[in-house]
Amino acid sequence: MTVLAPLAAVLAITLPVIIGLYFLKIRRPTRVVPALHLWPSQIRDRQANVPWQRLRPSWLLFLQLLAAAALVAAALQPVLPAGASLARHSIVLLDASASMQATDVTPSRLAEAKRQVNAVIDQLGPSDRMTVIAVGPTSRIIASVTGDRDALHRAVNGITPSNGPADLSSALALAAGLVRSGDDARAYLFSDGIVQPLRSSFAAGLPFPVEYHRVGVSGENVGLTSLTVRTSAQARAAYLHLQNFGQQVRSVSLEWRADGHLLDVRPLTLPPGQGQDLVLPVPSDAISVTARLGAGDIFAVDDTATAVARTPRAFKVLLVTPGNVFLEQALRLRSDFQLDVVAPAAYHASSAYAMTVLDRFAPSLLPDGPVLIVDPPVGSALAGGPAVGIGRVRAVDAGDPLLANVDLQDVHVARSEDLRASTFGRPLIGSLQTPLVLVRDEPFRQVLVGFDLHESDLPLRIAFPILMQNLSEWMLPPSVPSHSFSPDEPVTIVPEPGATSVSVVRPDGSRRTLATGAIATFAETDPTGLYTVEQVIAGQVQRSWFSVNLFSDSISQLKPPDRLTLPPTRAVAIQATHRGQLEIWPWIALAALAVVTAEWLAFHRGL
Amino acid sequence: MAPLLEPALLRRLEALALQVRRAVSGQMGGERRSRRRGQSVEFADYRNYTPGDDFRLIDWNAYARLDRFMLRLFVAEEELPLSLFVDLSGSMDWGKPNKADTARQLAGAIAYVALAALDRVRLTVFAEGETSGGAPSRGRRAAATLFSRLQSFPAGGVTNYEKLVWPIGRQRPGMTVLITDGLGESPLDPALRALQRAHQEGAVLQLLAPQELTLDWSGDARLKDAETGVEREFTATPLTQGSYLKLLAQRTDDIERAAHRRGLRFARLSTSEPIDEMVQITLRRIGLLQ
Repeated sequence: MTVLAPLAAVLAITLPVIIGLYFLKIRRPTRVVPALHLWPSQIRDRQANVPWQRLRPSWLLFLQLLAAAALVAAALQPVLPAGASLARHSIVLLDASASMQATDVTPSRLAEAKRQVNAVIDQLGPSDRMTVIAVGPTSRIIASVTGDRDALHRAVNGITPSNGPADLSSALALAAGLVRSGDDARAYLFSDGIVQPLRSSFAAGLPFPVEYHRVGVSGENVGLTSLTVRTSAQARAAYLHLQNFGQQVRSVSLEWRADGHLLDVRPLTLPPGQGQDLVLPVPSDAISVTARLGAGDIFAVDDTATAVARTPRAFKVLLVTPGNVFLEQALRLRSDFQLDVVAPAAYHASSAYAMTVLDRFAPSLLPDGPVLIVDPPVGSALAGGPAVGIGRVRAVDAGDPLLANVDLQDVHVARSEDLRASTFGRPLIGSLQTPLVLVRDEPFRQVLVGFDLHESDLPLRIAFPILMQNLSEWMLPPSVPSHSFSPDEPVTIVPEPGATSVSVVRPDGSRRTLATGAIATFAETDPTGLYTVEQVIAGQVQRSWFSVNLFSDSISQLKPPDRLTLPPTRAVAIQATHRGQLEIWPWIALAALAVVTAEWLAFHRGL
Repeated sequence: MAPLLEPALLRRLEALALQVRRAVSGQMGGERRSRRRGQSVEFADYRNYTPGDDFRLIDWNAYARLDRFMLRLFVAEEELPLSLFVDLSGSMDWGKPNKADTARQLAGAIAYVALAALDRVRLTVFAEGETSGGAPSRGRRAAATLFSRLQSFPAGGVTNYEKLVWPIGRQRPGMTVLITDGLGESPLDPALRALQRAHQEGAVLQLLAPQELTLDWSGDARLKDAETGVEREFTATPLTQGSYLKLLAQRTDDIERAAHRRGLRFARLSTSEPIDEMVQITLRRIGLLQ
């Protein structure tokens, strides 16, 4: 045991002072009594002003000495060595992701992790500092480099679980940003180990070691991992997949509802590790369908799945081309596109189309809206310089989201217009000779391709439909996407033309209002369930829906790994740690209070 | 010197009399029924005439009927010998009102009741031992002298009840009233036993000051014994005060039980009571006066 305030030992002078006061003799007034033998021989010295007398044994003296000793001991702030080994700067990474809602430990993994973190906070020494980072889909610092235990306790106790995955990489990046070179830091990860794979950027290591404190024991869980609604010529049907992630046979009941009305209840038995696919009917007028497992297992987030049953609103798209089967097929891949194909001679401007694709054709005036222009003819306003031969094709920025999953490795272009002098927009795909594809956001999202697709092998590559998908979704995102999103995944919402109000009603009934007139990104999608987008157009409320579901095998499997592969430590010096400290002065002070109370009682009872 | 008792009180006392349970045998005639036969109006018995008898007592009516001399006997009326033992030790010289002063007044009042009834009163004050109160007094005129003597005895000394045994034992059968606070260290029971042996009918009157019965102080003090002068340090707390009061109550109860066991009356009196009320209420209640 050590003491934090050794200077408080000077207060021990009170002990001999108390004894000294008892040595002093009281000047007692003389009282004549008729029969002294009737008076008990009991004496208690309460005040002293005449030295000296023999020290008499006294309960009051004993209790006063005991109380003073206890108070001096409390003032010394003694601490006991605790279990944890702490660095001067402890970084607590508290997993608050969906899997931490599992109740295999009582009351939940997150609550257990909080309890463990609070225990570590109690062991902080006076010079120790702690940072607490909540690890979720977006990690955040909830307490930064502080030794204030109350603030740390409040911060930890205020953490609420997310329905999203644990992005440990971003949490480690946050932590690394807080540690300076040479700092004595150590990170403690309180998690069930169900985290997203670490990014490769951590291969160089971290400036602090990371200790993994596993929370959770069981992986016995049955969950819904997929629910989609497909429309065929005859009817609509829902395709549901449920999976037993545990090691035991599980019998569950499945409730199937449309717009909250119960349609069916099916008992199901799932062998360990096995899944089951179900095809479920969807009423023609249903807006949404919901599957709910009456599993009563340790993880409730994946026991409910919701899908939007109503087909999304279609966009009319105009393709003006002398003939380009590649382009036509690529555009038809968008199920919400209603494609009209016309020859350049038949083109006339129309506001009925949400997007226009101009292949080897350029009208005198571009339509007001998203436009994809491919190989504008010479002499048009957008045409580049004379054609040049093209060598290797490359991405201008490999990290550009418009080129996500687009592999340009084996793409060749014979020749292209020289777009180096073009002021159309920023280059997306280029070559040594000239930019090949330009994109711009203003006045509308538009794309200019400088070469004829027939003079390239790009349409023959898998990259072409992906590129077209990326570009078309960028230019004309679905008004309200009807597919399922993961928790905390941003949803792009394009307000309808003329919308005076756009708001989103979340599954819990709360409403969020979005700006009108611009494409909005709605990120408050942590709760799972059905989200309703309400747009007021000319006084009429138009509703559309999207759903948020967990649908994550990696999270639903729940089994905490015994070991977690964590980045290596980059620290050049040996990390110095010390044992945590458990302050016991509050208990001693409490004991002193009890002794003072006993002394008060003894005084009044005349002991 | 102030008179021991107010004249008004004396007048009220003349209406009282000592109440005896059995006949007395005094030395002189009085107003008490005696065990002897004597001159009075109260017929007692007949007996045969024997030569030498006072023929004035022959019942001639009986002679006419029975033809023999019969003597009518009458109850003799004699004085009651009353002994007053008054404790004037150091412990009695304490309290407000002072216990010794109150004891003098109480003894004077009882003596006056007796003197007014032609009883013979012997006054004895005591502390470590007896101090004779002088010759026995008789008659109302002796009251002033007796009062004067009572007031002349100073209070002081250590109580020793055992030294009362001899003077009590040499008394003729009669009435004895013992006035004391009963707080002496020596036990009171030998004196009470001596009273019983001496065929004394009487009473023990325990006189205490209100300051003894209810403590009006607390805290630290140096206690000094009023009789011995011995000192001891003491701290008065609710606990220690409770212990004292418990011991005092126990002492009082012991005296009361011992008195009743010896056939004596007992009364505990507080000096806060007026003498008038003590005599007319308390002493009548215990049957000492009527």
